[in-house]
Amino acid sequence: MTGATAAGSATGPAGPEIRSDIPPVEVDGVSVRFGAINALSDVSFTVQPGAIHAIIGPNGAGKSTMFNVLSGVYKAAEGQVRFGEHRLDQMRPYKIAGIGVARAFQNIALSGTQSVAENLMLGRHHLTKAGFLAAGLRLPKATREGKIHGARIAEIAEFLDLGEKLHTPVGVLSYGDQKRVEVARALCTEPRLLLLDEPVAGMNAEETDRMAAAILEIRSALGISVVLVEHDMGMVMSLADRVTVLDFGRLIADGTPAQVQSDPEVIRAYLGSGDEADPAEAAEHHAAEHHAAEHHAAEHHAAEHHAAEHHAAEHDQTAEAGRRPAADPRSSDSSGATS
Amino acid sequence: MSEATVTAPAGASRAGGSAPAPARSRRSWLKPLLLVALLVVLLALPLYVEEFWLRTGFAVFGAIVGAIGLNLLVGNSGQLSLAHAFFLAVGAVSYTYISGEEGGLGVAELGGLGLPPIVGMIVGVLLAGLAGLIFSPLAARLRGIYLGVASLALVFIGIHVLNSWTEVTGGFNGRAAPNFELFGFAFANRDPELYVLGVPFREAERLWYLGLVLALAAYLFARNLLRGRPGRALQTQRDSEVAASVMGVNVQGYKARIFLVSSMYAGLAGVMYALSIGSIAPESFGLELSILYLAMIVLGGLGSVNGAVLGAIFVSALPLVFQRYADLIPFVGDRGSGGLAAGEAARFLFGAAIVVVILFEPAGLAGIARRITGRFRRPGGSVTQRPPESHGPTSEPTPSDPPAQGSTT
Repeated sequence: MTGATAAGSATGPAGPEIRSDIPPVEVDGVSVRFGAINALSDVSFTVQPGAIHAIIGPNGAGKSTMFNVLSGVYKAAEGQVRFGEHRLDQMRPYKIAGIGVARAFQNIALSGTQSVAENLMLGRHHLTKAGFLAAGLRLPKATREGKIHGARIAEIAEFLDLGEKLHTPVGVLSYGDQKRVEVARALCTEPRLLLLDEPVAGMNAEETDRMAAAILEIRSALGISVVLVEHDMGMVMSLADRVTVLDFGRLIADGTPAQVQSDPEVIRAYLGSGDEADPAEAAEHHAAEHHAAEHHAAEHHAAEHHAAEHHAAEHDQTAEAGRRPAADPRSSDSSGATS
Repeated sequence: MSEATVTAPAGASRAGGSAPAPARSRRSWLKPLLLVALLVVLLALPLYVEEFWLRTGFAVFGAIVGAIGLNLLVGNSGQLSLAHAFFLAVGAVSYTYISGEEGGLGVAELGGLGLPPIVGMIVGVLLAGLAGLIFSPLAARLRGIYLGVASLALVFIGIHVLNSWTEVTGGFNGRAAPNFELFGFAFANRDPELYVLGVPFREAERLWYLGLVLALAAYLFARNLLRGRPGRALQTQRDSEVAASVMGVNVQGYKARIFLVSSMYAGLAGVMYALSIGSIAPESFGLELSILYLAMIVLGGLGSVNGAVLGAIFVSALPLVFQRYADLIPFVGDRGSGGLAAGEAARFLFGAAIVVVILFEPAGLAGIARRITGRFRRPGGSVTQRPPESHGPTSEPTPSDPPAQGSTT
């Protein structure tokens, strides 16, 4: 049962025609450091043209950092990111947008006071030209530009079920709607590479299914590459052609969903290694030990108590980290359960 | 949501959408009608109103231009600037020097280029813009209160220059500003004598129209700008710089350009200020002026062009009106007569008004106006109430607390 569904869908970009103008994304030995912390160390993988490529990993694995490198927000300390003839690691973010790399943010980064249409129109920024003077004086070329692109925006909004809400301020939309506006805005840039940072985080099961269907349709209709960061294992395993797994900034697996699921490294990263006792039990054990030593002086007692508590808390944290894969990478039908 | 549940609310909201449609069409002719009526009133006002109100009106028009400019910078692009007084000074001084005549006022040797006032006005605006552009690289590196503090330096530099560069600025005592003139038509009491419907059109009447035209132009330009491509880019970079740059906006470039535009607005406001007072003096362009402009846009509503207009009217007209009716208003009297001076009383009122606005209506006067017109327009509901009803039928409680959006405040 484990890989059955995943393997079925992992037959690669079947069907959709891949556009010839879409180059692969080659991430080559990328490292990112924040002070002494290695957010990414020597990560290399390739996103094939027209593929849905998922990047997964526990919290703090460096997924979002990777996205920030791909979109030019962070500069890599070492390594290269190539997109056709362009070096993404050397370009400023707005230039990267100009060559067709679009990104939908995880924590919604829309302009809440502006309407859906205005937010989507921002996606057309690099495709339009009207400057301060043309816009301020409402020169005919600015108005014409607005009309043409307005039509395309309405189309994209319709595609993501936002047609009815085009003139509603984004700030009053539901969370799921806002997430879809994020994706729609990225699509409005007419990207060749679409970066989706947790597109279904916080969505319910229905919304997740719809988003998954939309992503598949985007790929098949536009033939573009999609890179996806996602916690929802069910979704990742059923959507992705290829999965890259990061842990503590290192790449620990890269392959088809089926390969990745059976990779021992990945299982260890998600479930913790087997030799560790149940963390909750361990904490209790500590407490018991502490009780046994209760003949200590009061001050000492307090100090030790504190220390023991501290220890227990640490254990709780590791427990948290270990337990998180409530979305067990193997249960592909647990869609929507995480968040 | 599955297909079935999607189509249901879509149909429902379409059915509901037909209800507000007639209301919208009624609004579509009501609004231009009101605007035309307002314009007619503004145009006819000099025929009926005494000079005091016209002079106040011109001062208000100048303040409107400046406030719109500052609101573009602070409200719409999120760059706090306390340097507005400096840019006003650049405009005012440039105009006075370029269009002023050479001459001495006893102690001070005054220079002047004696060029036509329209040249002085245009160059004044451009020089103020240039000053903004030169400062903007700094603005691109600093944010929020730090930018505010850095911009404060400009005000002090401005005061120092105004006090010491006597040849141009008239020094400590300031100097008279030349009358405005356009193609031989002077905005003064004579040249030519002018009567309209038996009413003498003197300096105050003429300046009123000049102010109206300039303020209207400033208003329309700002409205169009914000609705257009640059406006969307600016407002997005205010809410999230990273998002804007990832969507293709050259954030640094836009910050510089809006600084340029804002200081050009300030330059024009400065020229109008000089015309309205009839002279310039260093003390007029101090920190207090910057604060007053900030008060205008906060009171009026950050990020709203209409708000800037309302705020400018309120803040710039109030002290003058208080002065005028000092004997009718309790606690306000002439200096020495026991009451508060009019200017002080007005300042107390601003202070109170700002506190009230921030507590109860962060969208400012524009927000209050929107609320009133919204109720007037559509008794059933306002924009904010529509979305819930549009997906009401399905609404299982979706996680509906969006992360705090960078609001206008």
